[in-house]
Amino acid sequence: MKKILSLLLCAILVCSMAVAASAEYPDKDILAINPWGAGGGTDNCLRAFCKALEKQLGVTITVDNQTGAGGVIGHEAIADAEPDGYTFGTITWELASYLPLDMSEYTWEDFDPLCRVNTDAATVTVNAKWAADNGITDIATFIDYCKANPGEVMMGGSSSGSVWHVAGGYLMNAADIDIKMIAYSDGAAAAVKAAAQQEIQGVTVSLAEARSFIESGDLVCLGVMDTERNSLMPDVPTCAEQGYDIFYATQRGMALPKGCDEEVREKMQAACAAAIEDPEFVETMASLGQAISYLDAEGYAEYLEQAAIDVPAAMVSVGLIEAEE
Amino acid sequence: MDWSLLFSSYGDVFGSLQVILMTFIGAAGGVLLGAIPGMTATMGVALLIPFSFGMDLIPSVGLLLGIYCGGMYGGSISAILIHAPGTPAAAATLLDGYPMAKKGEAGKALSVAMFSSFCGGVIGALIMTFLSPMVAKVAMKFTSAEMLMLAVFGLSVIISISGKSIAKGLISAFFGMLLCTVGVDPTYSRQRFTFGVKSLKGGLSFIPVLIGLFAIAEVIAGVERIIAGRESAQEKSTEKITRVLPDGKTIRKITPNILSGGIIGTFIGAIPGAGGDIAVFVSYAFNKGISKHPEKWGTGIPNGVAATESANNGCSGGAMIPLLSLGVPGDSVTAILLGAFIMKGITPGPMMYVSELPTVYKVFAALMLANLCMLIVGCLGVRIFAKIVSLEKKVLYPIILIISLLGAFSINKNVFDVGVCVVFGVIGWLMNKYEFPLSPILLALILGPMCEQNFVRFMDLNNGNFGAIVHYPIAIGFFVVAVAVVIISLLNQRKINKTEKANASMGME
Repeated sequence: MKKILSLLLCAILVCSMAVAASAEYPDKDILAINPWGAGGGTDNCLRAFCKALEKQLGVTITVDNQTGAGGVIGHEAIADAEPDGYTFGTITWELASYLPLDMSEYTWEDFDPLCRVNTDAATVTVNAKWAADNGITDIATFIDYCKANPGEVMMGGSSSGSVWHVAGGYLMNAADIDIKMIAYSDGAAAAVKAAAQQEIQGVTVSLAEARSFIESGDLVCLGVMDTERNSLMPDVPTCAEQGYDIFYATQRGMALPKGCDEEVREKMQAACAAAIEDPEFVETMASLGQAISYLDAEGYAEYLEQAAIDVPAAMVSVGLIEAEE
Repeated sequence: MDWSLLFSSYGDVFGSLQVILMTFIGAAGGVLLGAIPGMTATMGVALLIPFSFGMDLIPSVGLLLGIYCGGMYGGSISAILIHAPGTPAAAATLLDGYPMAKKGEAGKALSVAMFSSFCGGVIGALIMTFLSPMVAKVAMKFTSAEMLMLAVFGLSVIISISGKSIAKGLISAFFGMLLCTVGVDPTYSRQRFTFGVKSLKGGLSFIPVLIGLFAIAEVIAGVERIIAGRESAQEKSTEKITRVLPDGKTIRKITPNILSGGIIGTFIGAIPGAGGDIAVFVSYAFNKGISKHPEKWGTGIPNGVAATESANNGCSGGAMIPLLSLGVPGDSVTAILLGAFIMKGITPGPMMYVSELPTVYKVFAALMLANLCMLIVGCLGVRIFAKIVSLEKKVLYPIILIISLLGAFSINKNVFDVGVCVVFGVIGWLMNKYEFPLSPILLALILGPMCEQNFVRFMDLNNGNFGAIVHYPIAIGFFVVAVAVVIISLLNQRKINKTEKANASMGME
């Protein structure tokens, strides 16, 4: 009898503790891991989001930049964290590139996605003088030229294996053309400068990164690979409105390590949904020139699943990896 | 040149208490951060960006430029005092700065470094103010071909910093080149020498290697000396610091070095992708090459400190030119500054000089102010900093060790980097013991990736035809200069070896 009683007591105790724990979540500070460096675009975005999230959750969120190995270290740190809801982090486009490039075994399936926060679309931006000399005025004439001169057009897009480099492969697949992607390890700005110098014919970087040279007239943006026009430069058309369904963007989102309790996930998802509409966050993102493009947990998971198929396919076209048999 | 706008901009900047205060805080923080190995100006700027969110553009630019300039000088403090360059751009300062400190002239070395930093910074700011559009035009001429040959030119400096044996210098340099190949290759994203180690996939982190080779190696050597009883643990510096600025005689001696260093620094800084870390070595080699007594370089002469410190601070002015006029950052600090401008709704780029001219002029003025603040902070600090060398070695070495390991860790918050730092400490100690010079490794680490990336890109762009290089006159020019540098430094080296032999045989008799 005593034994049964004590067992029962134990069971009640455990239950009540479990209930107490989940009812109170979060009852201590939360850690947000950023795989990228302090002061960068992802960092600014995450810190602003965490500020808004703090208001929802009522606890302090500390950002920890665990950088290195092209973001692999930080992404793996999020996935390897205790799935208790007290560690989450920002995952970026690069996550989809690690497995194909043999950088990490981890994929999006090692995370519990919370929401997509922000996207920034690639563009087809070319040297204005080169375009004028070859009668290129829009996406259609660009694709025609590439088809007539396969493998001759050279485009740049940041460092090898990076989001804009792979964007070139995506463009090749989507438009069925053959261009040569040149790697610029110093980043997008170096590629943009090279396009302005006519070392290469164009770039596939974001509009914000090419903006100053577009405004000066050195470069001309033929189309943005987005569903809507960019608010930075509303005069620049999208590829889609010219009849080419080419959509490609870098993305940033929030994710928990895989295996968190249902209640924890729901609470975090709800907090994220509210934080994304926080006026201060919206204002900060606008001043950073970053578009908020929210997707909820389910939608984000679908998006990541699709990216895990598209990214390796684009990498094959750029020549980064070989096609699987 | 719009003179009235220039003057009113200077008036706005120097007349605003908030701007002056922010710049001063930035400079003080920058000097401190720069002086700690592993804490770089880049890190300081990145950390303070969120604080500048709420400020107006010019106070926040003042704050960031203060850190930038302060950090450039701060790096030399630890290079001179404890043989650990606080920032990569101070790596050449220790060639003469540390021997000076060992001779008991730490205070003099610090004041020369500070004075040269200030003058170099002013030269950079002046060139930026008056020649910006022209320098930007030259920078726009730099494509992959020119960058490749600039890197080759940089590598030609190796002999000049090799010390006694050119063969040993070359071995060090090739070892450095080999280290650059670790990690994912920059063109095809294939892994090289990573041996399945996750942390090696991004390559060896530069700063932990730097700290290991210099600071940790020096600590090991120091402990060895103490154990062997060759260095009395009580040894103290007896230098009395009577003045914080160098005396007139010294200033006259180092003026040519400062002028050439400042100009070299500004121009190399203005080329995107080349920064202070390259400029200091080029300036050092140039000044050694034209010196009447090349044999004295490396033994602790103020000229060596002046040549390098003026170059790295000149760089800060130079690096602002492509940032403002092309929107292309010249180094990692200006890359973060670019983000700060965009956040305030200003997109640096070709249109900046058309649409935002008042802002541009205010940035010029803010850079000048930042250099002034750095000078003031430096003057206040010289006496305090110089006291470090008079610490008991038994106390000093453990402190250096802890700060160094912390610095190595803090770059990526990665324990693996601490291991890298220790391993390179042992390598550096062994190399020192067998008289292999360390600086060529560093130069190779800085220039190796630049060389490789631009070479492969050049070949990629020209379908594998290297002969196409003849279409790039600037590139050819750099190559010719590189060959000339090699010949001059070989001749110099022979002269040095001859005098040394003569001295030795005289001693025998």
